[in-house]
Amino acid sequence: MIASLFYNPVTLSSNSELLLLLPLCAAVGLIYKTIRVERLNQLIREYIKLLAYMAFGLVALCVLLWVTHTYWP
Amino acid sequence: MTKQKQSSPNPVLAVLLAWAIPGAGHLYLGRAKRGIIIFLTITALFWSGVGVGGVLTVDLPKERWWFVAQMLTGVNGLVAWQRQKQAYQALAKIEGESLEKRMVKAGIALVVPAETVARAYSGVAGLLNLMCIFDALMLSIMGARGEPQPQDDKPKPKGLAKKEAAT
Repeated sequence: MIASLFYNPVTLSSNSELLLLLPLCAAVGLIYKTIRVERLNQLIREYIKLLAYMAFGLVALCVLLWVTHTYWP
Repeated sequence: MTKQKQSSPNPVLAVLLAWAIPGAGHLYLGRAKRGIIIFLTITALFWSGVGVGGVLTVDLPKERWWFVAQMLTGVNGLVAWQRQKQAYQALAKIEGESLEKRMVKAGIALVVPAETVARAYSGVAGLLNLMCIFDALMLSIMGARGEPQPQDDKPKPKGLAKKEAAT
């Protein structure tokens, strides 16, 4: 099944492109926190905190860009 | 009871392992859980990219810089590169139309948005592994083996130790 993905890639619609940032952020956050946390039992808490920061930052950036784009003279 | 003396880790070996198999460097340094998390995350991210983009996600002739990033995933990148070369060879055998047209016909040509997503996923997986390689290098240079000690077991700073002794 995996081998068939080489020649039959998953089709994506342009609308879902932004949502695909989330798994990317999740992976970046997980790897970063895995190598940064001192004790592994802190990992989940720290990871969720970082993920929340990233999601909030992205949404804030989106809003800022949308406002600039809509109301820029 | 005597403690078994552990030899200090070899930085070159740690870097090579961390590059070849994501997470193996941490496994070598005695941080097995971290190594497994790194392996699963980087491998899943890389192959998700290939799953979205297909065989031409790893493409040396057209996307040199993404290719460099993808090769940082070690064996994952090498396997995907091998498959890409096979795909080019198979297409080159077919005579007639241009290579571009043949790729479109075969359904393996990368188009937007799959192209962006596929290369971003697989390339970022490589860059994340670079971070892990660097971490493995630093830990091995410092001679760290196993998980770090809990804070209470560590020797306290001089000032704090004096303060505690006074009270």
